[in-house]
Amino acid sequence: MNNLCKNSSWVFALTLFLVACEIGGDEQPLGKYDTGILLMNEGAFGSNDGEVFHFDPASGTVIKNIFELENQRPFAGLLEDLVLEEDRLYLVANTGKVEIVNPGDFKSLGAVISGLDQPRSLATAKGKLFISDYGPYDANYATPDSYVAVVGGLDGGAVKKKIEVSNKPEDLYAFGKYVFVAGSEEGKIEILDAETEKVVKVLEVSGSPVQFFEQRGDLWVYSVEDKKVYFYALNRENLTIKTSREFAVPEATGRIALGEDDRIYLLTSSGWPEYKDGITVLSLFDSTFIPNWKTGSGFYGLGYDKGRKEIYVANAKGFQGNGEVSVYRKDGSLVKTLEVGRGPSGFLVR
Amino acid sequence: MVFVFLVFSLLGRVAYQDTLSLAQVEVFAPPLDRFAQGQKIVSFEKSELQAYSARSLGDFLQEKSPVFVRQYGAGMLASPSFRGTSAGHTAIFWNGIPLNSISLGQSDLSILPVQAIDQAEIHFGSSGALFGNEAIGGSVHLGTQTQFGRGFKAHLSQTIGSFGLKNTSISAGFSGKSFSTQTKLYRQFARNDFPFRDLSKPGMPELRAENAQTEQLGWVQDLAWSISGKSQLKASVWWNYAEREIQPVMGSATRDVQLDQNWRMVLDYFRFGSAAVWNVKAGWVSDQLTFNSSKNQTRQFLLASEWDYQKFEKWTIKFGARGTFAKGDLSTYSATDQRIELYQSAKWEVTDRLSLAANLRQLSFPGRVEPFLPGVGMDFLIWEKGKHQFLLKTSAGKGFKVPTLNDRFWSPGGNPELLPEKSQNTEIGLEWDRMGDFSWEQSLTYYRMQVQNWIIWIPQGSIWSPQNIREVRNQGIEYQGKGRWSAGSWNWEIKGSYTFSQALDLTSDNQNPQQLPYTPKHQANGNLQAERNEFSVSLSTFYVGQRLVGTGNSRVLEGFQLWNAGISFSQLRWKKLRFPLSFQVLNLLNRDYQVLYLRAMPGQSYQLNLSILL
Repeated sequence: MNNLCKNSSWVFALTLFLVACEIGGDEQPLGKYDTGILLMNEGAFGSNDGEVFHFDPASGTVIKNIFELENQRPFAGLLEDLVLEEDRLYLVANTGKVEIVNPGDFKSLGAVISGLDQPRSLATAKGKLFISDYGPYDANYATPDSYVAVVGGLDGGAVKKKIEVSNKPEDLYAFGKYVFVAGSEEGKIEILDAETEKVVKVLEVSGSPVQFFEQRGDLWVYSVEDKKVYFYALNRENLTIKTSREFAVPEATGRIALGEDDRIYLLTSSGWPEYKDGITVLSLFDSTFIPNWKTGSGFYGLGYDKGRKEIYVANAKGFQGNGEVSVYRKDGSLVKTLEVGRGPSGFLVR
Repeated sequence: MVFVFLVFSLLGRVAYQDTLSLAQVEVFAPPLDRFAQGQKIVSFEKSELQAYSARSLGDFLQEKSPVFVRQYGAGMLASPSFRGTSAGHTAIFWNGIPLNSISLGQSDLSILPVQAIDQAEIHFGSSGALFGNEAIGGSVHLGTQTQFGRGFKAHLSQTIGSFGLKNTSISAGFSGKSFSTQTKLYRQFARNDFPFRDLSKPGMPELRAENAQTEQLGWVQDLAWSISGKSQLKASVWWNYAEREIQPVMGSATRDVQLDQNWRMVLDYFRFGSAAVWNVKAGWVSDQLTFNSSKNQTRQFLLASEWDYQKFEKWTIKFGARGTFAKGDLSTYSATDQRIELYQSAKWEVTDRLSLAANLRQLSFPGRVEPFLPGVGMDFLIWEKGKHQFLLKTSAGKGFKVPTLNDRFWSPGGNPELLPEKSQNTEIGLEWDRMGDFSWEQSLTYYRMQVQNWIIWIPQGSIWSPQNIREVRNQGIEYQGKGRWSAGSWNWEIKGSYTFSQALDLTSDNQNPQQLPYTPKHQANGNLQAERNEFSVSLSTFYVGQRLVGTGNSRVLEGFQLWNAGISFSQLRWKKLRFPLSFQVLNLLNRDYQVLYLRAMPGQSYQLNLSILL
């Protein structure tokens, strides 16, 4: 039984990568977690031992379990996503809650602890939280009642509305009053109006859209299929698809990382029974296309430190215990490996 | 198959020729330790089991034995870990038939109510030769017990307790000179809405456990006939039905429900000779597990025969054969399995002080034969003087586990290429017994074990699949002691045990291996009891040391110590009726603890039991 549930969590799970947050010298002093890299550890199914580790690449220091360290209570959830918006860091647990902390010191600011089923990601718009949620499983482990939950304030509280969307919504992206939803199971980009809290437009795309990102001023959505991956540029003003690109990358998972040179690193996995993981590098703007830039097994998350030009590859090591992160230079040479928490799945470069 | 039946019939003939008319006044049960020289066996007294009659075998083993029980909540999945091995490395028997699910390869101790059994023994270490499949870390031997010539007996028992606990049991039996019957019915219910601190929520509020209600119903029937003094026929049936809400881990709000229905039946025929006993055993086990709407059913039938013969005065030998036929209809696959086993044992009582035993087993399952599963052992009385005796016990043996049906056939992910898990175990122990007014029994055992091909389910992309990847080196020390004395009109008894268990995972880091997850290095328990004129008071405690939550330098769960206290009075009588009364306080100091990470456990609770005995 457990395996059925275990299976569900990984294919479309997202890695999160956010552009480094610049804080001016005349603003408030940097907190101890405002620099460095936050390592997201999903945790193991049934254990709820997800946590965040902090890594300082300059000193090589790793601080474990920083949510628990700063709040004297365990995170107690499977950590699906880390979202830094509105000077708040949102820790989204797919076990049914969102914890909100101050990004500098990780002290709790609030939470959403009820009204959610399997939240995946979050975006803020018009002073509200929008939380994508698979909804409950039905008897066949399908999720026909997926939604985006709306919470009235940026510091959490009660879910005041659930906006029905297509099955298995993943990443969210807010622009002005619009919230873009990556509807992964049915290949839809649903656009919500944050004021009316209604779906105002639906765009059809190929594959399973899983991740939004910005490159060269455009909003893109990354979508995966068995044998191909797709990138769609979206027009944020008139809510249309501007252009699209496709690449023959088989067995891509939903996880990507963006280099400072417009390169995109994609995680691939052949899955059971051969089971080979790999990283493919490509660019939307030139002819770069390097299949199998790295190969291995157990790859579970990707990150990129644009400042140091280093690629972070997370290895879940079978979820038996602590995972491992390998840090590579752009030429593929290894910088170092770190022992991290259970199920390392993504990075937030501060 | 033909071979198995040939062995049966051959053994049958030989046994019959040796048969002499010898009246058996007891219902026969072959003793567990007959060929287990040098091995550690702990037998529990009936009174110890009675004190746990409202609780599960998981609670009993956790609190009264050196076994660590991984409990996923109160009344939830509880699996044993002997000597740092996994739940699947423990063979569990009831009246001699294996109970472990053939699809999961383990048993849930929470749905083995102590109420249903009359005797329990635990055996430590790998002993594939004596007990067969899955006896790697140890084995648990449960049984019912009937007797001849006891007339009519009846027992009604009602327990009420905290968090909606209501247990009722009725048993009635009649036994004449050559016939015995005993029927037991029980219902165990717990609302299980105990308060706990929810660590997953801001402010860690105290909430009541939700979705944790459990209910079990059961029926146990025992029958025994003595046939002309030369033979006995025994039959037992055990039906247990459990309907449990599955208490979610803190931070999750799952509302899973699990139904388990288990049928176990065993039929034994014993033929007694002057120096031999021939046994034919037939067993049937049907397990149905429904998790939410996912149904899983397995059935196994076994037929076995053994012949136990004492040649001359000093030699005892045993030959046996067993065929097991299993079928699984699981939610994702259907599969069958057959196993054929032959086993031989010999014991040589060299002198009054020295006895040696050797055991051997051959086991085959589809596509594979395991021809050589040996075990040897020795008991040596080193010294005996006055009231004291010192006994040296040493043994070595191998253990073996056939990959389960799920391991091989689960779809997707099952791995038909899996190799069996294997272990080697050696141990040496010293027993010091003192007879007399102040009597004691103390034992100290050192063991070493290596387990190879340990099967672990790991993700292969999005699919989890089992692999023979883990190798573990275990060693440890087990102390057990018991003392009895009288002071005035009070009879005192003290018991204690301490276990040091090192189980190093050589898989992830061979140079600097770490302790296996959820395997405490230190564990201890103790019990003090005073009794006078059928009034008794007891105080007991158990300690479970630190556990790692995962492999590597992962999170550590702190150790905990709990105390229980109880009083009982069995002097209340009216005519032929007796009314034993007992009261227990569990987790006396209201300690907040978790056995497994974020699995809430109940604080202080009470149980009041009133029985009526005829």
